[in-house]
Amino acid sequence: MTLKVGIDVGGTFTDFWVTEKGEEPVVHKVLSTPEDPSIAVLRGLSEIAGLAGSSRPLRTFAGSIETIVHGTTVTTNATLTRAGACSGLITTAGVRDALEMRRGIREEQYNNRYTNVVPLVPRYCRIGVGGRLDREGREIEPLSLDEVQAAVDLFKAEGVEAVSICFMNAFANAHHEQQAADLVRQALPDAYLSVSSELLPSIRFYERVSTTVLNSYVGPILERYLDRLQVRLAEAGFAGLLLVMQSNGGVMAPDIAREKPALTLLSGPAAGPGAGLLYAGAHDWKNCIVIDMGGTSFEAALVREEPVMVNEGVIDRHRIALPMLGIHTIGAGGGSIGWIDQGGLLRMGPQSAGANPGPAAYGHGGRQPTTTDANLVLGYLDPEYFAGGRMPLDLPAARDAIAAGVAEPLGLSVVEAAAGMYRVTCNNMAQGVREITIKRGYDPREFPLVVAGGAGPIHSCLIADELDIPLQIVPRESSILCAVGMLMGDLRHDLVRTFVARLDDVDWAALQGLVDALCEEGTALLEAERIAPDAREFFLKLDCRYLKQYHEVSFPVPLQAITDRDQAVIASAFHAEYNRLYGYSLEQEAAAVEIINIRLQAVGRVEKPELNAEIRHGADASHAIKGERSVYVFEDDAFRQMSVYDGDKLQHGNRVAGPAIIEKQTTAVFVSSSFDCICDSLGSLVLYSRQRADLVTELLRGDS
Amino acid sequence: MKQVDPVLLAVYARIFKSITDEMSLSVQMTARSPILCEAKDFVTGLYDAEGNMLEQTENLPILAFSLAPVCKYIIEYFGDDVHEGDVIFHNDVFSLGNQNNDVAVYKPIFHDGELIGWSAVKGHQADIGGAVRGGYNPNATEVWQEALRIPPVKVYEKGQLRKDVWGLIFANIRLDIVQHDLRSQMGACTVGERRLQALLCKYGVDSFFVHKAALFDASRKMVEKEIEQIPNGNYHGTGRVYFDGHHEGTQFDIRVSITVTEQRITFDYSETDPQTDGFVNGTFTSSASATVLSFLQMINPDIPHNEGMLQPIDIIIPEGTILNASYPKATTFGNHLCPPNADAIIRALAPVIPDRVTAGWNNLLCSLTTGLDPATGEPYVDIGFMGLKGGSGAMHGTDGYDHIGMIDASGGVLDQDYEMFEQMTPHRLIRHEYQPDSAGPGQWRGGLGVVTEFVIGSHDTQLVTFGDGDFEPAFGLFGGGDGTLNTIRLTYPDGREVIPRNKDLIKNVPAGTHYFQLAGGGGGYGDPARRDRDLLTEEIRNGIISAAQAQQAYHLDSSQTQSGAGDEL
Repeated sequence: MTLKVGIDVGGTFTDFWVTEKGEEPVVHKVLSTPEDPSIAVLRGLSEIAGLAGSSRPLRTFAGSIETIVHGTTVTTNATLTRAGACSGLITTAGVRDALEMRRGIREEQYNNRYTNVVPLVPRYCRIGVGGRLDREGREIEPLSLDEVQAAVDLFKAEGVEAVSICFMNAFANAHHEQQAADLVRQALPDAYLSVSSELLPSIRFYERVSTTVLNSYVGPILERYLDRLQVRLAEAGFAGLLLVMQSNGGVMAPDIAREKPALTLLSGPAAGPGAGLLYAGAHDWKNCIVIDMGGTSFEAALVREEPVMVNEGVIDRHRIALPMLGIHTIGAGGGSIGWIDQGGLLRMGPQSAGANPGPAAYGHGGRQPTTTDANLVLGYLDPEYFAGGRMPLDLPAARDAIAAGVAEPLGLSVVEAAAGMYRVTCNNMAQGVREITIKRGYDPREFPLVVAGGAGPIHSCLIADELDIPLQIVPRESSILCAVGMLMGDLRHDLVRTFVARLDDVDWAALQGLVDALCEEGTALLEAERIAPDAREFFLKLDCRYLKQYHEVSFPVPLQAITDRDQAVIASAFHAEYNRLYGYSLEQEAAAVEIINIRLQAVGRVEKPELNAEIRHGADASHAIKGERSVYVFEDDAFRQMSVYDGDKLQHGNRVAGPAIIEKQTTAVFVSSSFDCICDSLGSLVLYSRQRADLVTELLRGDS
Repeated sequence: MKQVDPVLLAVYARIFKSITDEMSLSVQMTARSPILCEAKDFVTGLYDAEGNMLEQTENLPILAFSLAPVCKYIIEYFGDDVHEGDVIFHNDVFSLGNQNNDVAVYKPIFHDGELIGWSAVKGHQADIGGAVRGGYNPNATEVWQEALRIPPVKVYEKGQLRKDVWGLIFANIRLDIVQHDLRSQMGACTVGERRLQALLCKYGVDSFFVHKAALFDASRKMVEKEIEQIPNGNYHGTGRVYFDGHHEGTQFDIRVSITVTEQRITFDYSETDPQTDGFVNGTFTSSASATVLSFLQMINPDIPHNEGMLQPIDIIIPEGTILNASYPKATTFGNHLCPPNADAIIRALAPVIPDRVTAGWNNLLCSLTTGLDPATGEPYVDIGFMGLKGGSGAMHGTDGYDHIGMIDASGGVLDQDYEMFEQMTPHRLIRHEYQPDSAGPGQWRGGLGVVTEFVIGSHDTQLVTFGDGDFEPAFGLFGGGDGTLNTIRLTYPDGREVIPRNKDLIKNVPAGTHYFQLAGGGGGYGDPARRDRDLLTEEIRNGIISAAQAQQAYHLDSSQTQSGAGDEL
């Protein structure tokens, strides 16, 4: 059994990448079914099983799958579009507003028009109860179970389906939270429950309450999804290993995902950066920007040899205190709805029409104008060849929606309105790229732009134009890049334990015991994932700080240093990392260092599917021309007649001059008039600014 | 001469910003005093070889606009005697410092042996010597009773620590963490130095000069364009300061005369009341910072902050006024003259740019507790950031922002995390919540204030209060109502109540004392009767506006009001 399937459940499409030893990988895409995303998963598997050439019964196909790795953006989308669970919070009396106050920050200090984010739990469902632990975790006042009961009664009346419990100082003692949790479990057995001391047993109240509430907010969404998915997969005959993507770029078992759904927030795109590097690496680039535009959201990530990590994330200004890849997400996608704000300005998103009703052009009853509707009006999409012709689009419906929602209020023609929607969307996305490059001091022009997502390559030329990025790579699998990345990544488990001790006075036996226990835990996880002993690796990190500091520095330590009880090696590694990050260290002063956390990453190396290189063909692409049509060209602010190519017929070495449209089964690529395009050995379309053909000299010569 | 590349120009602007942001992160992650790493009461910046501002990260803007003037002063002071590896400290308010506690660290940046610029970090230190622990001495009449003065002094020279100078400075400061925090600021300067040097290696010095000048020009033009939109004329406004710390019932007026002439704007404070004989006095740079930050809130927030931004702005503050005290007056309160200064500016400009001003913001009333943590025997200092931040003023089309505090911080200063507050002090938090009905009513309401209560955990605790806003609330505009007043109240274990004055020093507060504070709401804007009814109903349900206030102030039909669950007043 070597059949592996990566499945990326997005807000609009569900993507599949199927690899089997000795076979060409299969790319497949079906419309998501947001009311029950597992329907689309099964529909996709069923369609793949029935594909011409390898047709077999679903049961045979599903039964032969060894591993399914899947990522979901259902939790991200639920948060961005405010479609999460009706939530309640039980917290310590007196601090119920911490969630909404967000420590009293206004991110834009000089902008008096900037308003606070609406909290995920409204104030009337944030209930403070009596009971108090001191800073050491000792009980000062017993928990008021009556008040917990009163909160539960309110939640029942309000139809609350997800409850969070977060008490002051619970990081030091979980007892009160456990008491409250017991009561909630009894009184509201069907409610989803997140308990802060189980999810994130670390100090800092705001970070913990925010993370806990996010966990609950998306918990029921993910739980319902996984329940149905597992049942349906089992019914279909799947008996292999199911793994779920995490936001740290690794995967986890479904049971962990149920407990910690917050780990799946921003997890769908987490597979993208690694996969993007694969395609950029084919041209010897070690760094790249990866953008992914789906139906609902747009993600941008920076890869510098490996995907850039951050210790905590923010989703729509809500804090998640969990380590993850540094991916910037905004609510911009094919389904993003165009609207006019109070000041009369055209805005796009973050509300999305999703898959159902979807854009007006889908003909499922959507009446609001979306990015996809604009793309159709502008000629980027062929109404007869969307999703390879399996899903005809309704051009009059798209025009009507744009006329009513955007054109008439602004006094524009439908085409002018559509062009405006396109520009605003691209500008939003260019800002997203600025967040991860220019704002962090990187010049975006130095990075190739790897373009993913079904809707990405229609917009990437204008994004590249705005940022002056000369080079884009549209992978053959661009519409399902994350599904590819899921099978390209290793299994990764981040384990953490708090262990507070001065480095010069550490109980080495206790430390060794803890590290051993973490290694055992990691081993057990990898065993459950059927990883052979020689493919397992363990990496130790310590979080340390100078005595009495507030924040810790995380740095790698060889496991041998613990065995050898080598304090000096650990100290010098800490001083060095501290100096690298902050410009100085207190090594010469021999300042005392304290350990706060032990982190172990257990990695299971997996066999990765190989991408086969194609043989070189000539530059002539005329065999792939399937017609021509009139398409909006932003450089000219006008429609131009241009050739339409069948992207699935383009071969290594074929060249296409812009402006042109390249249509594939799963995506459409717009080559604007300032770009040209050549197909590389992996089937990627490399778009290069006509002035910067020097960047692809070797590719044009056929040397690479 | 190199040409300006428009895309590279944007990259320079963002890189400068990313450098000062990274410096800011460095301080936040490495400092020990919660004033720096939790509340972010510091500013990081980059300056050119002449001391012109290239970019700043202004966590607390009131510190921000003294860094470039001091940099220029240091350049003049040391002349040619500036070398790679030097580190210079400065806090002196009589050589352009803004406040004694705000100690700045400057590091010159060299490229190929040539002085190219400076990195600097100014932060509020937990102690700065003087008569009172923590630095706020309401009884002071001269600077020496407030703080150790640090005129420009090299603590490192060509990379070598000047042990004697270091020893002298820290022999005069009570808390050890101040040494560590200044090291943290030095580290951040090194981060800035390395990043700017990398930039110079990449793009070259010529490119740096050309684009730096272009950035100054761009910011200047943007500010000029903003000023053009204000009608030419002369406008007057007044803001009031209550109590000088010495004489009960005293009041002082800040009077501004604003003249707009095409592309220039002048803020003239010549009619402002004279300086006080206490510590309620500004310095030129603290007052000018207040003027600049108040004005910046009325214009496009996306203008890059650099020297060019300041060029169209003239500020006249005669020495001897309450905004610019003469040597050797006490001045520690000077930063906190920002709110009444902002009030004066808003009142002057509201009639001519009604859609760009806010109503009044809640004024600062702060308390600082110090003592020994009985569990560890270690000293602590806590500035009550979470308690002092009230609501912002509403503006046309936008409600005030809840709990972001006085206008001089504008949401840049964070509350202590509650659990870290209990780790770093012996106090126990009882309550920190929005204060219902605190927002000034209006078609757009003011931001909400907060109520803060905790139990003091140290014996012989010293409490210093400084601020205002307990006599005059944040004002409403164009029919909007006022916010609520600030209050601090102590209830001793024996039941005795003490209400500190707004500038006060209270010693020997016993453990077990209940601390209570209200930070008031911001002023409302426009007629409350025109407030969106659905929004109002939701606010009643959430318990932030009471049914009674909804009826009385907002004229909501009583059938539409039902009080929210968990609503406690």
